[in-house]
Amino acid sequence: MIALKNLAMEKDDFYLSALSLEVAAGEIYFLLNRLDQDNDFLFRTLSGFQAAGSGEISYDGNRFLGAKHPQTVVFIERVNDRADFDTEARLGQWFDFLCAQGLGREDIFKTLLVGNFHERQLKKMVRDLAPETFKLAYLAICLAANSANVVINNFIKGSGKNFELKFNKLLLQQKAAGRAILFLGSDIFYASEIADRVGFLKNGRLMFEAAAADLKEMDIKDLYLKFLN
Amino acid sequence: MYAFLRFEGRRIFGERKNLIFLGFISLFSAYFIWSGLNEYRQFHAEKKIFLKFEKERIKQIVNYAQYGVFGFRLLYEASPLNLFFVNSSVLQDVESNIDSLEAIKVESSFKGKKLFLTRGYFKDFAGIPFIFGSLFMLYLGHLALVSPAYLRFMTGRMALKKYYALTTAARLFWLNLFFVALGLGLFFLVQLGGVVFSGAEKKIFFSYLLFLVLLLDFFYLLGQLTSVLVRFRKVFFLWFFIVWFFCIFLLPEINRISVFNKARVLESAEKVNLEKFRTLMALEKKFRDYLKVNPATPLDQIRQMQKKFAVQFINSSYLVNTGLETKYLRDVERVIAGHERQSVIFPTTFYHFLTGEASGKGYYGYLDFMDYIMKLRNRFMHFYLEKRYEGNESTVESFVKNDENIFRSRSRLPKTFWLGLLATVFYGAVFLVLAYWLLRRQVFLP
Repeated sequence: MIALKNLAMEKDDFYLSALSLEVAAGEIYFLLNRLDQDNDFLFRTLSGFQAAGSGEISYDGNRFLGAKHPQTVVFIERVNDRADFDTEARLGQWFDFLCAQGLGREDIFKTLLVGNFHERQLKKMVRDLAPETFKLAYLAICLAANSANVVINNFIKGSGKNFELKFNKLLLQQKAAGRAILFLGSDIFYASEIADRVGFLKNGRLMFEAAAADLKEMDIKDLYLKFLN
Repeated sequence: MYAFLRFEGRRIFGERKNLIFLGFISLFSAYFIWSGLNEYRQFHAEKKIFLKFEKERIKQIVNYAQYGVFGFRLLYEASPLNLFFVNSSVLQDVESNIDSLEAIKVESSFKGKKLFLTRGYFKDFAGIPFIFGSLFMLYLGHLALVSPAYLRFMTGRMALKKYYALTTAARLFWLNLFFVALGLGLFFLVQLGGVVFSGAEKKIFFSYLLFLVLLLDFFYLLGQLTSVLVRFRKVFFLWFFIVWFFCIFLLPEINRISVFNKARVLESAEKVNLEKFRTLMALEKKFRDYLKVNPATPLDQIRQMQKKFAVQFINSSYLVNTGLETKYLRDVERVIAGHERQSVIFPTTFYHFLTGEASGKGYYGYLDFMDYIMKLRNRFMHFYLEKRYEGNESTVESFVKNDENIFRSRSRLPKTFWLGLLATVFYGAVFLVLAYWLLRRQVFLP
């Protein structure tokens, strides 16, 4: 379970006022926010790479706040630039290295198979992979950690529909496995499609929260104009 | 650790551009070793001619008066290790003339083939890893940590400190292994080529190799630090060249200019020569004055007087002149010692000093050469005066026994070697810690 309690902070242009929410096991919570950089900031805070001002973040009841990365949570970052991950090694070698650090090879390949991954990609340098193949590989490594909690930052932004479908399949698998998933993003249509609950964050405040099922009966355009514009 | 070694080995040696660069370094190092070996063989061929010529020359000399004026030449032979440092030495191919004149000359000939020997900066084995190895290590240091996004990703799998330390250790292991293997491989090949190194020379080469590896590690860590300082931005490449140029060219040059300025306190060598000439001429004048006062002196008495003056010369003027030369040499030695101390301050400046001394043609080699010249000259003067005024002049006997006219300079490590090594390790450790501290602040934002 993921729980945020009165999480508040102010840093440069980013402002967050007493954010409280809970994501239960087997639930996908979509937190909508207009600006990508605000999502990035919140994601960094949740993953421990950015010190929070006050409040509480807890994963499965373990409180955590500050410059420490919780190793028991899966964090899936928005990765648009493969150059940031160009280790000058082949993908297969990168997998070997990560598996030696404790990741299960089977778990990695379980995710890859969902994405129709071909073995020949293993021989390619990371920089030579197609953007979506790289994203799939990245996702496979992240999900291989088998954690009960997953925090995702706008991962599918910029991806094609094909990749989005594969990702949705994986996400639903994770949900079915009982994982608590907190998704940070800005796409209201995608949120209504994939999430169980949706929260709207505007000017650092959680303005509105609704079940995705209820969202479908509401005027999405109106919600968009109200909270995300 | 094994996984890190495996992965980093693949990262370094699996990348084509790295392999091309490493191949280039190996090829050029081997080429300059081969070229150094050729020069070494050429020198030995020239040495044989030199010895033969000197033997022939003495046969042509008619009397000891001529022998005193012409004297004989003394050749400077560097240690065989010089073939690794042909262009890093302080002295070029030098020789001196031992005669009865007042000035000591140390000169380099550019006659014939020697005119075409001049190479220019860094074109020897020591220069290739220094220039290209440092460039490569700086670049690999920059690539090591990939990007902050990658580091954040990896921090999800293991502690940042562990990842940083093990990645650095693994990469340095492979890179050091490459340079050590290259150095030892070429050293072994040179021995196969017929060059024999003494135990002391082997020890010096291994010590040099140890310092070289630490110097390259210093550049790797500097590259890592620079990369963190510029926050992994593309502007790194601009800083990369500035830092590299500063370390490789600018600092050694500043050090050289500094020692040149310090050497200005030394009296001009011409002034010392003039002083010695005055002392010599004062005695000559005394002898001339004696002849003026006694114009009718018989020839055998003049000869007796000449001998008396020669003995007087050896016991007074010659000692004064030797004293002047020794004092001058000790002043030069003080400047060299100051230069050595100053070189220790930075690894690249120390590398220059170290390679100079390891070549056998460094500053201390020069001092040894001068000391040898003075000792030989002293013996030659006694020999010459004794033979000229007491001996039989019918045949001129050579002063040179065996191959005394070859000065064998030995390679050596500077006295401050371990201090220089420690300073380099210290710089490396500071860069390692500083880069981690800054990196942590970039990954974990306040």
